[in-house]
Amino acid sequence: MKTRVQGLAFFFLALGVGLVAGCGGSSGPDASGDVIKLGAYSVVREAFHDALIPAFQEHWKQKTGRVVRFEESYNASGAQARAIASGFDADVAILSHTGDMNQLVEAKRVSPDWAKNPTGGIVTHSVVVIGHREGNPKAIADWSDLAKPGVGVLYPDPKTSGGARWNINAIYGSAYLASKAAGGGTPDLAAVADLLKRVQANVVNMDASGRQSMSSFSERGIGDAVVTYENEILLRKREGKPIEYVVPEATLLIESPAAVVDSSVEKHKNREVATEFLAFLTSVEGQKILASYGFRPVDQTSPLLPEFPKPAKLFTMADLGGWDEVQTAVYGPKGLWTSIFSDQGK
Amino acid sequence: MASVETTRSGGDTGLPDLVLRGMTLGYLGWMVVLPIIALGFQSLVAGPQAFLDAVLDPQAVHALKLTVVTALVMVVINVVMGTATAWVLVRYEFPGKKVMNALIDLPFAVPTVVTGLMLVLLYGPSSVLGTILGTYGFSVIYSQPGIVLALLFVSYPFVIRSVQPVLLELDRAEEEAAATMGASGWLTFWRVTLPTLAPAIFTGAALSFGRALGEFGSVILVAGNQPMKTKTTPLYVFGEIESGNKQGAMAVSLVLLALSLGVLISLNLYQRRWSLEDGK
Repeated sequence: MKTRVQGLAFFFLALGVGLVAGCGGSSGPDASGDVIKLGAYSVVREAFHDALIPAFQEHWKQKTGRVVRFEESYNASGAQARAIASGFDADVAILSHTGDMNQLVEAKRVSPDWAKNPTGGIVTHSVVVIGHREGNPKAIADWSDLAKPGVGVLYPDPKTSGGARWNINAIYGSAYLASKAAGGGTPDLAAVADLLKRVQANVVNMDASGRQSMSSFSERGIGDAVVTYENEILLRKREGKPIEYVVPEATLLIESPAAVVDSSVEKHKNREVATEFLAFLTSVEGQKILASYGFRPVDQTSPLLPEFPKPAKLFTMADLGGWDEVQTAVYGPKGLWTSIFSDQGK
Repeated sequence: MASVETTRSGGDTGLPDLVLRGMTLGYLGWMVVLPIIALGFQSLVAGPQAFLDAVLDPQAVHALKLTVVTALVMVVINVVMGTATAWVLVRYEFPGKKVMNALIDLPFAVPTVVTGLMLVLLYGPSSVLGTILGTYGFSVIYSQPGIVLALLFVSYPFVIRSVQPVLLELDRAEEEAAATMGASGWLTFWRVTLPTLAPAIFTGAALSFGRALGEFGSVILVAGNQPMKTKTTPLYVFGEIESGNKQGAMAVSLVLLALSLGVLISLNLYQRRWSLEDGK
């Protein structure tokens, strides 16, 4: 018995030593080439992992003759931003929205000048759309249709999902701007809150992320409508699992940023390759690859890039006052979205 | 779950004993007590006003109410069904008993997120059962009954496994005496058996209640996660962390922790009182 226990202990010890040695081996210095640590939000995984990164590796090799290796991490945008802010040494951050990038500026990881480039720090565009069931049985065409009785709506929890903030901002923004135009400059906030409240009352389930929301809708058959990014639906189409959708007349332009993380590239001494990668994302080649995965090109006027139909009343976060203002006005302690719950007595 | 008595007398204090004792105490402190102190300190450091504001937020209050109510509903069902199951396992012989006995521990081995997934597949709005229930106006998944179902699954063995050993060792002479004196089966159970089982039932109930307060993995899939409707406290805490409200998350966590500790302490006090009364 004793020898068996000893043998077992020895086995685990050996296993432990082996694992530690193994880890040491893979993370050791790589003299043969460059390394980029990528800290991205989950929605871009397919486009980056399957196409953009291989294309950049080829590009870098032709330009410098060197090999670049990627260490990729994909996570929910907010979680990724928090990880980088508290020490995850990603060299390049790709996030869902500027609000998350601002966290990195506050944590002094990213330069306050990160947006000072031709695309304003933005690398992909998309729009907020509504996916619906085949043949559109509930006749969904606009945001207000999500508030109709008997329509089961899906969007993720804005507490955990950057995607949900885009979705709810689109509903909020369309009502806010319409009401502002009708009221001669002063919006009727009560009416805006009422729409948010009636849509929320139809929400069946709030998943933790936009991806989960999409799979609840398509794989588990939950709900009649899913509020999501256009590129998420186009990705499904690319994978042979199309979902019918409508682009509401007034919808929000999704602008997702990327930046070099200064503290990391100083530590890894790879600013050159990281900066080149960032520039590659907005190059014609990079934008074409992203477009093939459903992202709208940042430069909508370039004749070299595929065209996407433009919604009639497309608006941006800047039209709503910018991220900081919307975060407070909608999700803050006294925000419109927060208040639809605190008004409910129970 | 009767407390384990020490087998060595306290006077035996050789150096190895001291080292061993010190090591295990230190281990307990490091693994269990230190994280709790860290949470307690961090959540109170912002001052009592910030703490109260976070705890009294309407969404936080609702989440806590929902957590406690769903856990209590689960406990009531568990006490009745768990005691009955233990009774059947101890007092009856039937084919398949061994299999049944083995299956009871299965919920402990199933990852909670898998539990959630199984329930969604079975009762979800698009499943066969979910559709049938839906036509009668019942919704299970993404509403409160779904939470109770998930809690019932993850805490299934607690009452059974607390009651079973006590029932096995129960001296049947008292029951037989009651029967000889003309008491009916029910009366015997109510007056003779149940009082003996009560501490074990209470232990099982308290353990499953404590387990339910913190249940996350299964609940996040079945609850629907809607504020003021189906968002339990663990889901609320997760959401607050994810949206950067660390103070809110910590303060509410501390309340949840205090509640669990309260359950544990009252369980210990109850057990002590009972063993004193019993003359042990």
